[in-house]
Amino acid sequence: MSLADGLLVLFFAFLGVAIIVTLVSSGRSGPLLMALFGAASGALLVAAGAVILAGGRPVDLSLWSIPGLGALHLALDPLSALFLIVAGLVFLPVSIFSAGYARRYEGRYSLKAMAVNSYALFASIALLLSTDSLLLFLLAWEGVALFSYLLVNFEHDHAPTRSAAYLFLVMAEAGTAAVVVAFMLLANGAHSFDFAEIRAAASSAGPGIRWAVFLLSFFGFGVKAGIVPVNAWLPRAHPAAPANVSAIMSGTVLNMGLYGILRTNGDLLPLTQVAPGVIVLLVGALSAIVGILYATTANDLKTMLAHSSIENIGIVVAGFGGAFVFAASGRGDLAAILVTAALYHMTNHSLYKSLLFMGAGSVDEAVGTRDLDRLGGLARWMPLTSIFFLAGALSIAAIPPFNGFVSEWLTFQGILRSAELASRAVQVAFVLAGACLALTAALAITCFVKAFAMGFLGVARSPEVRRARERPLITVFSLGIPAALCLLLGILPTYVIPALDRAARPVVVETSSAVELVPPFFAPPPYSGELPEGFVRDFHDIGAQVGQGLLPGRGLVVLHRGGPDRHVVFAMAPSYMILLLVLLGGGTYVVVRVASRSRSLRRARQWDGGLHRLPHELTYTATGFSNPVRVIFRGIFRPRTIEDLHETMSEHFRGPIRRQYEEVHVVTRLFVKPLTRSARWLSDNLARMHSGKINTYVGYVLITLAVFVVLAWFT
Amino acid sequence: MAGWFLKGVALGVKTTKYPRRAEQAPGVSPGLPRPTRFLDAAQAQEVASRCPTGALSASGSEVAVDARKCIHCYRCLRSDGAAMSWSDDYDWADVPESATGQGRPLGFEPRFRRSVNILVVDAGDCGACLNEIAQLAAPQYNLHRLGFFLTPTPRHADLLMVVGPVTDAMRYPLLAAYEAMPEPKRVMAVGTCALGGSVFGPSFIAGGGVAELLPVDVEVPGNPPPPLAILHALRVVSGQIRGARR
Amino acid sequence: MTPRELIATEIRSRWSEFPLTVEWPAPDRLRIDVGEGSTAVDIAEWLVDERGFVFAGMAVREHRRYWRIHYLFYDHGIPGLWIQVSSDTSREQPLIPSLASRVHAADWHEREAEDHFGILFEGHPRLGDFVLHDEEWPEGISPMRKSFDASERILSRGTRPDWSPRRILQEPGAFAMTVGPIYGGLSEPVHFLLETTGENVVRAFPRLFFKYRAIEKRAEGLDVNGALLLAERFSATTAFASSFAFCQAVETMADIEAPPRARTLRVLLAELERLRRHVGSIRGICGSTALAVAESRAGYLEEELLRLSGEIGGHRYLFGLNVPGGLAADLADGACRLLAERLAEIEHALASLRRMLGTTSSFLDRLEEVGVVTSEEAGYHGLVGPVARASNIVCDLRAAHPYSGYERFAVAVPHEEEGDGYARLRVLFDEALESARIIRSAARDLPSGAVRTPIERAPRNAWAFGAVEAPGGASIHWLWLDEEGRVERYRIVPPSFVNWHGFHLAAEGFAFQDFPIILSTFALSVAESDR
Repeated sequence: MSLADGLLVLFFAFLGVAIIVTLVSSGRSGPLLMALFGAASGALLVAAGAVILAGGRPVDLSLWSIPGLGALHLALDPLSALFLIVAGLVFLPVSIFSAGYARRYEGRYSLKAMAVNSYALFASIALLLSTDSLLLFLLAWEGVALFSYLLVNFEHDHAPTRSAAYLFLVMAEAGTAAVVVAFMLLANGAHSFDFAEIRAAASSAGPGIRWAVFLLSFFGFGVKAGIVPVNAWLPRAHPAAPANVSAIMSGTVLNMGLYGILRTNGDLLPLTQVAPGVIVLLVGALSAIVGILYATTANDLKTMLAHSSIENIGIVVAGFGGAFVFAASGRGDLAAILVTAALYHMTNHSLYKSLLFMGAGSVDEAVGTRDLDRLGGLARWMPLTSIFFLAGALSIAAIPPFNGFVSEWLTFQGILRSAELASRAVQVAFVLAGACLALTAALAITCFVKAFAMGFLGVARSPEVRRARERPLITVFSLGIPAALCLLLGILPTYVIPALDRAARPVVVETSSAVELVPPFFAPPPYSGELPEGFVRDFHDIGAQVGQGLLPGRGLVVLHRGGPDRHVVFAMAPSYMILLLVLLGGGTYVVVRVASRSRSLRRARQWDGGLHRLPHELTYTATGFSNPVRVIFRGIFRPRTIEDLHETMSEHFRGPIRRQYEEVHVVTRLFVKPLTRSARWLSDNLARMHSGKINTYVGYVLITLAVFVVLAWFT
Repeated sequence: MAGWFLKGVALGVKTTKYPRRAEQAPGVSPGLPRPTRFLDAAQAQEVASRCPTGALSASGSEVAVDARKCIHCYRCLRSDGAAMSWSDDYDWADVPESATGQGRPLGFEPRFRRSVNILVVDAGDCGACLNEIAQLAAPQYNLHRLGFFLTPTPRHADLLMVVGPVTDAMRYPLLAAYEAMPEPKRVMAVGTCALGGSVFGPSFIAGGGVAELLPVDVEVPGNPPPPLAILHALRVVSGQIRGARR
Repeated sequence: MTPRELIATEIRSRWSEFPLTVEWPAPDRLRIDVGEGSTAVDIAEWLVDERGFVFAGMAVREHRRYWRIHYLFYDHGIPGLWIQVSSDTSREQPLIPSLASRVHAADWHEREAEDHFGILFEGHPRLGDFVLHDEEWPEGISPMRKSFDASERILSRGTRPDWSPRRILQEPGAFAMTVGPIYGGLSEPVHFLLETTGENVVRAFPRLFFKYRAIEKRAEGLDVNGALLLAERFSATTAFASSFAFCQAVETMADIEAPPRARTLRVLLAELERLRRHVGSIRGICGSTALAVAESRAGYLEEELLRLSGEIGGHRYLFGLNVPGGLAADLADGACRLLAERLAEIEHALASLRRMLGTTSSFLDRLEEVGVVTSEEAGYHGLVGPVARASNIVCDLRAAHPYSGYERFAVAVPHEEEGDGYARLRVLFDEALESARIIRSAARDLPSGAVRTPIERAPRNAWAFGAVEAPGGASIHWLWLDEEGRVERYRIVPPSFVNWHGFHLAAEGFAFQDFPIILSTFALSVAESDR
């Protein structure tokens, strides 16, 4: 039994103990236990994954064997290990956060239920990731869906919560149904449920089977990931769920969908055609743009974050799509870069999104509202929460030196390489997707400028804000963990990329060119034949060896070499950049400090044109801030006026103007509604066949018989 | 767009030579009465009594002029009786005694020598002073060439230029603007109203000038002071020259 | 019976059961006194709705036991007719019948009177927070009452720092964008509240009277010469027009007429002022669209015109020229000829500027179909001047009610139909060029003689109004003198006050970034409206 095996088994055993202890413990200690057990199990997950990613032997552990059902066998390859680490990194801080956050439900809802459900969810996720059998996979998948549903439905007294949770469950089950069919096709081909045998049988699958498995698994798993057009549950479930649940959902459950897509289409039955990859790419890009558009215009902090999850998952999926296309076109090197980028982005998203959801939860708890139109100026009352939320907002808006920048930059660079593809049509698809992603990136900045500026800066827009206080230290601390990780992942990509590369190995088997993204500039000469002498010297001249001897690893420069004629395709060095920023910033600060020693700081009121006071109704609202986006993309939002009332007090004297709009999500409008409408039409027509007359039924039987006779005649 | 450029060039340079040379064009200043000696005390008395704002004061046969009060009504000039003599100059700006007095060393801010950003606050003027300041941006004066810039926000302003007698409703905004300005800062009162209320104040609603509220560093008489007088005052406040008469 | 007399007869017969006093103080001036009751409001509504009269203004006077309310109307007919309808309301009555609910143009007049006198208008839907701002003044202070001592500042008066704007837009996320009172580089103080949900202004609400200097109150008790200074100087950019109207009122009371030379010179100077003001407005419009070269060119012309004014009249804003009976000083014939010569150049430059602007698409984009005021809206707000004429309301007192020698110059009244910013700009250009034409024609054929008719008997216990077409539109000055010949009540209805009332029409429905441009095309003066 290896170390990873042990850690994994320990994790499951620990969770079992946790569930039992929670059930028998008194209610009062619940939150504290939740923090302890959750954080510890998260840490175990991270440790187990890290051991494998660090080069440990993959888990391959037979626990027992039941005749007829096969063996209970745990297996953990590097890809699963990465997902496991991410899950652990989310569980750890969120569990600590939950301890403080869950107190708001004390006496109203069962905290034990929350704790047990979340342990069960942890276990399901870990099981899902550590199985190599389709059956166990489906079992765990159902567990994830069920326990997520229970957690979303936590505030079950609340009708909207119930309907949102129900929607989630229904959509998740529909997705599962599709996945089951896909798995049956796979199992049928390999005559086994075992991953290894399915892999072995993959090459013999016909194109029809390949298409069916791809479509069913992509959209089936896509439900959980929240891609367009199967995203309807996401923006409704998140606002309904408690903030810690939202954090877990966004940070881990969505990833399970991604895991499913990647495992099925990258590993079990790798895509050999370009077309499915293009579909994935375009669906990803579309998800990204639709997600960010709705995020930008949403005013509920959590709804906004939910839409933004769709956006980020879209970016990841677009990265997968690009990788599939490159892999199918024989460009394994580029595929590796894009898979690495996508996994990087997924990791980042899990970190900053759970951070932001915890931030939104803190705000909600402190103020009592998540409506950006009623928040404002919180930086004054909740300074630490504000700083951590800002870190999350900067990360998600892809502003260096935070992590979102690195992964989006890599994704863009990867997609730009489509110029090297042969097919013009595919290139067009890449260009479209790239344009969508570029617009998405710009809107993401708008969106999170709005979120931070309207929530934390400016004047308080409601009296509740002025009563807000900083959350307890433990809660703030739990926000600090992902914030610090966001920064670390942003400034040390050269340590992350090799690990991700190892994780991507099961998907892009043949090459490990992503590891070449980090050239060994730290390696002492002579340069082991990997890099031309002159090339290294040029880079050493501009300082690429700084840190050599001090720091482990290959180097601090991210660089992609195109070939003999094109040495550098793209390169960046965030580590040096941040170092330079710190030096410059610090230097400037010192110089300014020295130069103006007599400088006196004066705090003055904001300049408002000379008003006696600036009532909050005279300052920008979140709605006002995002209104230009709503106006520009009117065609997508299609707001419907439900009230536009202009009262007059007497002739020509205007009274109140009352206006209200209603929006139906574009996916619902264009996809879900037509679908339900045609389903209803079909069932209405089928119902008409049930006339109740015996003669009609006899007629049906006769017609069927005739059809079969004719068919038999011809075959 | 090229057409505009050509038209602009075709107009040629219209900018005054001031301050290198005095501007002699007619109509650049409404002028001020000059202290005048009359035939006898009675005549002086009569001339001085025609002044509606008390800018003229007779002592003996001589009539002295308080430029800070003159509103250019020309009643001492255009009448059947004797007339004051008249000057057409415009370098009227001066530093009030309060600004040179104790505790407020004038010491013109060396930082103002190169560029001064000006916030103009209209505290109830009739529109003339404001319009004359606006003329400073016209090609004839082009105040930017001398390093003076108008700014819309007190945060960037070095100099607060106040026009008008300071109406009641503008007291608070004016104070707020002054307080919003960074140090070092200077206040310039532009026009008779800003110096003493002129025909509008003091009353229940209009004040008797800026000095009631803020420490004034430079005063520009005139109703309105012509652009050149304001330019002169700007040169005084930026330390390029000393004040006019004292 | 002339059409003018027909109106008088019809009013008499329609309201035959009421004791109306109808007089004709002049052939074009009809005065109707209705005594107590709400007949005045009925007549006013009938005049405006049925007979197409324009509501020109309202004056409230404290008269022994009564509030005397005077409404003034004029029509667009040529020759036109002025009708003044007066009524009394006992001061014991708490409410005065409101005209504003029926004639919208009276809205601000009544709001102003409410703040001035503390009288309430029955049925006026929106009173308070007008002249005296709510955050600074408690209720119950009525500065225009005779009993109010206007000389002292009222220091402890309990300001209300909790002031919040009254908003009408109720939509999720709606807010009021605040601009001012101190804003922009060289702006007069106004506090704008632009209600919006972002992007488009749904409702524009200007809060004026930051420059309220209580000119009307301050004039009370002064002699005519003292009040003249106020009339001339409350708004310097239209100083000549205001003093012109004031002198007209005094001359009417004294029953004298300025000598022919003075009358022609007054036309010349008034047109010079109009030309300068319009060029200044054009400069403002160019500046608001950030067209720097055009702004400089217009600024150049404005300064040239200011210098010309200074050269021929002594003062760049023509202060100190108008006196009751004529002009304080004569203008040399040579100076006037010089003026005519110089004007030819300015006219040429102006026409060229106009041509250039008309072909600059980036400029036209900002003005065309922006800030639209329909003819109907302009009508019920009683808008005046170039703003009204750009909305196809063809009315100009110089043409409809020629005064002081305008009979001699056939004044063309330029007008446009679109009512947008560009239409207002075109009207400004056309009027400026028309003014230049009138000046040249006046300078060419200047009567000789004296410029001042002495006032033989100083008017006492009399009243009259003077009305001129100021650059911004009709400007009306009412003057009542007491037994000693001192001002008992001075009422000014300047064009900016009227047009500010309708300004929101243009700003609403357009984007924020159009707001300063729309504002500049209205060419409004705050000093004039706040007075």
